[in-house]
Amino acid sequence: HEGPVWQVAWAHPMYGNILASCSYDRKVIVWKEESGTWEKTYEYTGHDSSVNSVCWAPHDYGLILACGSSDGAISLLSYTGDGQWEVKKISNAHTIGCNAVSWAPAVVPGSLIEQPSGQKPNYIKRFASGGCDNLVKIWKEEDGQWKEEQKLEAHSDWVRDVAWAPSIGLPTSTIASCSQDGRVFIWSCDDASGNSWSPKLLHKFNDVVWHVSWSITANILAVSGGDNKVTLWKESVDGLWACISDVNKGQGGVSAAAEGQQRQ
Amino acid sequence: MKLKEVDRTAMQAWSPAQQHPIYLATGTSAQQLDATFSTSASLEIFELDLADPSLDMKSCATFSSSHRYHKLLWGPHSMASAERVSGVLLAGGENGSVILYDPAKIIAGDKEVILAQKDKHTGPVRALDVNMFQTNLVASGANESEIYIWDLNNFATPMTPGAKTQPLEDVSCLAWNRQVQHILASASPSGRATVWDLRKNEPIIKVSDHNNRMHCSGLAWHPDVATQMVLASEDDRLPVIQMWDLRFASSPLRVLESHTRGVLAIAWSMADSELLLSCGKDAKILCSNPNTGEVLYELPTNTQWCFDIQWCPRNPSVLSAASFDGRISVYSIMGGSMDGLRQKQADQLSSSFGNLDPFGTGQPLPPLQLPQQAAPQSMVLPLKKPPKWIRRPVGASFSFGGKLVTFENPKAQQPGLEQQQCHLVYVSQVVTEKEFLARSNQLQEAVQSEGFVSYCQEKVDMAQTDFEKNVWAFLKVNFEEDSRGKYLELLGYRKDELKKKISSTLKKNLLADGDLGEAPAGSDEAVLNDGDKGLATEEQLLGEGLKDHKKETEDLGPAKKTFNISVSGDVDGLLSQALLTGDFEGAVELCLYDNRMADAIILAIAGGRDLLARTQRKYFAQMQSKITRLITAVVMKNWKEIVQSCDLQNWREALAAVLTYARPDEFAALCDLLGSRLESEGDSLLQTQACLCYICAGNVEKLVACWTKAQDGNSPLALQDLIEKVVILRRAVQLTQAVDPNAVGALLAEKMSQYANLLAAQGSIAAALTFLPANTNQPNIVLLRDRLCRAQEELPGAQQPLKAATERQPVPKGRAGPGAGQLQGTQPPAQQYYQQVRIAPTVTTWSNKTPTALPSHPSAGCPSDTQGDNPPPAGFIVPAALSPAVPAQQAPASGYSLYSQAGARPAYPQRPQNGWNDPPALNRAAKKKVPDNFQPPVPITSPIMNPLADAQCPLQQPAAPAPLLGTPGFQPPQLLPGPPGQGGFSPAAQPPGPCILPPAASKPSTEGAPGAPIGNAIQHVQALPTEKITKKPIPEEHLVLKTTFEALIQRCLLSASDPQTKRKLDDANKRLEFLYDKLREQTLSPAILSGLHSMVKSIEGRNYQEGLNIHTHIVSTSNFSETSAFMPVLKVVLTQANKLGV
Repeated sequence: HEGPVWQVAWAHPMYGNILASCSYDRKVIVWKEESGTWEKTYEYTGHDSSVNSVCWAPHDYGLILACGSSDGAISLLSYTGDGQWEVKKISNAHTIGCNAVSWAPAVVPGSLIEQPSGQKPNYIKRFASGGCDNLVKIWKEEDGQWKEEQKLEAHSDWVRDVAWAPSIGLPTSTIASCSQDGRVFIWSCDDASGNSWSPKLLHKFNDVVWHVSWSITANILAVSGGDNKVTLWKESVDGLWACISDVNKGQGGVSAAAEGQQRQ
Repeated sequence: MKLKEVDRTAMQAWSPAQQHPIYLATGTSAQQLDATFSTSASLEIFELDLADPSLDMKSCATFSSSHRYHKLLWGPHSMASAERVSGVLLAGGENGSVILYDPAKIIAGDKEVILAQKDKHTGPVRALDVNMFQTNLVASGANESEIYIWDLNNFATPMTPGAKTQPLEDVSCLAWNRQVQHILASASPSGRATVWDLRKNEPIIKVSDHNNRMHCSGLAWHPDVATQMVLASEDDRLPVIQMWDLRFASSPLRVLESHTRGVLAIAWSMADSELLLSCGKDAKILCSNPNTGEVLYELPTNTQWCFDIQWCPRNPSVLSAASFDGRISVYSIMGGSMDGLRQKQADQLSSSFGNLDPFGTGQPLPPLQLPQQAAPQSMVLPLKKPPKWIRRPVGASFSFGGKLVTFENPKAQQPGLEQQQCHLVYVSQVVTEKEFLARSNQLQEAVQSEGFVSYCQEKVDMAQTDFEKNVWAFLKVNFEEDSRGKYLELLGYRKDELKKKISSTLKKNLLADGDLGEAPAGSDEAVLNDGDKGLATEEQLLGEGLKDHKKETEDLGPAKKTFNISVSGDVDGLLSQALLTGDFEGAVELCLYDNRMADAIILAIAGGRDLLARTQRKYFAQMQSKITRLITAVVMKNWKEIVQSCDLQNWREALAAVLTYARPDEFAALCDLLGSRLESEGDSLLQTQACLCYICAGNVEKLVACWTKAQDGNSPLALQDLIEKVVILRRAVQLTQAVDPNAVGALLAEKMSQYANLLAAQGSIAAALTFLPANTNQPNIVLLRDRLCRAQEELPGAQQPLKAATERQPVPKGRAGPGAGQLQGTQPPAQQYYQQVRIAPTVTTWSNKTPTALPSHPSAGCPSDTQGDNPPPAGFIVPAALSPAVPAQQAPASGYSLYSQAGARPAYPQRPQNGWNDPPALNRAAKKKVPDNFQPPVPITSPIMNPLADAQCPLQQPAAPAPLLGTPGFQPPQLLPGPPGQGGFSPAAQPPGPCILPPAASKPSTEGAPGAPIGNAIQHVQALPTEKITKKPIPEEHLVLKTTFEALIQRCLLSASDPQTKRKLDDANKRLEFLYDKLREQTLSPAILSGLHSMVKSIEGRNYQEGLNIHTHIVSTSNFSETSAFMPVLKVVLTQANKLGV
């Protein structure tokens, strides 16, 4: 890369050791480890501005990478075999910039909890994106085309990050979004069609919130803000979100000990 | 990239950062005339709607003004207090006027939008600035060096910053300092800038270039450094931007000379102090880093000059520029393609035509070539350096196993120093469920230490509810002797107490009887009661009296006296007659008819079994008391009836009855049945009680189902509650019933994987692995296992052997099978092999050892595997039918090399027992990972293979007996997973050497894989000569065990006819070696030893049934891991001996 690298993402190990990186230099590079050395297997230069976010789709879909760029577009790179990648581009997904993309967990329509084994499930592919137009958008693939399914409006400034919560078997979809305006919203959608999203304000911080990240079990949200603080949030039984911890300078955390430190 | 445009020749002002949505106010410019030469003026407000892809700006309001404007400024005054929701819009007018508008009112369309107006200035008001710290303070500048400071709260009279500068000149720019609130700077076209201190009310410094050609058009303070500011010059002869530091005010700190003609306006980004916008008469809009002078970006513009340029305060990448061609354009500094916009227009066009594919493909209309696309400007490069606002200063990401990775950037005190700061990445473990983890640890400790009884007892003591207490007490009983009796006690039936109660009741009765003068019957009564204790017990405990017995005894009592036989015509008489004639059947009928039940029964007993049975049935048909059905069941042994039809409120009694009477083979089923009834029919309270039945039955799966139904299983602690019970019950079931310890039902598997997930999320990766069901193909579990293994930094398949190796290496445990301990130090893996196949370069220390110096005894493991992953190579014949008695033979070297290529593998130590739910023996996963193309450095004597557990084991003698035992740093080769059958072996590379036949080679080895579970047809048999050398003798007192067992097997072998049995016995013979090893090492507990000895005694007495009983006793009382390797084998042998009757 010839500029700062904003994000890297691991592909599912079933595809080997594959890493995607995105950079201010407008490139997306897919790296692969072969016999101990890392090599570039694919370089995508289809963006006109900084590529801010990369996210691999659930492994069930194959190798698909979503990339959000400051040029406002989102690219979807799908590996079609034989070293070939297919590119689909959503132009002007977010005017003046897409800051984050996050895939929905693989869920089969109609059977949100159990799925019959055997036949290949017919997944509905969705992902969420957040951008400088203050919007969170949900995109859905229909007949091989990506369409804007939902536009979630609640933030009053750039959406810095979105994170679709991992599926824990419940028929609820949850997305966390955070913004320049200091607000973190938890969006949830209970119906299978995915049309009725309702926001819940997690907290209004005094500074920019840069990053949100769900724990694997989807019950804890790590929120990192411009005040250099990382806070952990958990939903109580009555649906209220409570801060359970400040992770300050890595030594904090709930009985968390800094296990390792290393230079970036 | 251009985002929006408005065709206005106007001054512009962005709404303040606090304002959402973003507005842009425009006011007709006083300095420029538009193309229409219109003299009308208006104030307009547009909304910046970025969601709208079109270039048009959305007009929100227009206000026809009587003024034209020299300067517009939108301040946040009173926004915080919500008095003015959109702040205050300030305008500098033509005739010395400063006007205050309420933008909210303009947007609302009000007529009265002017808050205040003062015409105090002389000439046009060209300069306005709001104090960032006190937003009510506004500075304004006009002609004749006039500067006023206005307080918006008290607008009537302005202040001055000090005496007017001389000579009098226009004030073209004003700027409040961005760090120190009482510092104001002003600049004039003459090129002089003055810095005022409002506390002192005087100018503190004047900045002036020596050449005096500066013609100030712009002035801006450094956003971060209080003493630095820039001045822009409009003069074409000096088109520069000067950066001054007031501490060195003699000359500019830096001069930016990027423009070729005069600079008309500058704007310094508040979001990133390295971004300074400037526009000039060279028609360029540049973005430079004023700290270095580097031009970072040139906006793609038309050829027109821009006279005003502004950063959007709220959206840091947006700026607006007003140009002389009567247009205000809004740009993004982040680059992006103009094509996008054109594309959009084309899309709109194509969609109007109903054309194909308006979305997503990127090429909606392939035939249409847009004319501009060829132009090089179509793609706009973004800023050379990433703006500060897209750098994430901080971040946190969860990863698998509850790890949280965080980073932060220490806030830079000085710009430019950021690079020197060190950036730290932290990895923290997030633990939210401490209690859960603590309890999970306790459980694991209990499992590992096998301290089930104390664990259960602890749980009983800590139980909060009676039910919980009950459940744990029931579980505990599983690990105790006489479990059924204990179950009964738990249900409230104590045999000894009951006996006391009965006898006291009887005594009372006796006393009563005595009073009635019937004392002589006493002794008989007692006898009777002893004989019929079971029945009596039941009756007593169910609260029924001893009526029946009394009746019987009473009837019996008088019978001893002399009597006369009546033969009259009444019932008695008829009865006597029937008895005298021996017509028992008739007599019984008579008694029944006369309701003399006891007589009937007594007579029926005398009348034979059939009659008794019939009589019983009739009796039960007639009797309707509550107790009858119980008695029926007891007598008829029909427990199913009880269980099926009892009132569910009496489940306790039904369970007790089953516990007392049911045969072992039907016991579990009956408990199950009762449980199912409780579960399906009972209320919620009874449903939970069904759990107790399932515990008695040892039915783990149903326990899980029932528990899940009854309890809220979503919280971690609830799951922990369940798993604790399940784990304990499974261990109990494994001890008492011969079930496959790996059998896991779907529901249990789900719960276990949930549990493992939870553990993993709390960072207990190893624990999660142990709880994960081992033998399931459920994809999510396989995935989780894979992930857990990765989290342990081990490859999934190699994980088990590695664990075994690392844990066992330091001290070879006595428990190890065929020389596992010794092996570790002596395995001489060939270095080249690993270089070919290894994945991670982790093993290095042993690689420089000379292979020939090492003792050579790679084990020739059995290559046969049902998985078929190690098929023997061509030319390799598996001698499946070889009898075990065939002596080991010296094989030709070529044969050996073939063999070793196919399947020779280093022996690997047995896995430790901590994986409690895993089979104790080597499993296939482990096998697969053993290198298959292992090359022995020194030839081996006899490559005899062992296809189906009954073949011979190769016996090899090391060339040099273990000189390097315990080579330091040696790591067992199984760390490295190698795909089976991978090439790389070269027979030629095998060092030639003499084949040495070990002394014991003529005898087939009897070692077996340690602890392989019975039922697993594939036995991985390994024999190692070193082990023979180092084996200790079996202590003399225990030698009898070996001789007896071996003799028994031999006897069985002689009388066994079918090959399958023979094979079983052969296998048993080999696997008993493990027992002998334990005897050699003297690691067995005295209890087990004495049990084994009594077993031997019963074998000597040919009483195999007794032997089996002893066997059961040993298994149920001893440590599972201690006996698991050989007790099943002994059971097989005893069962066979019993069957064959040898």
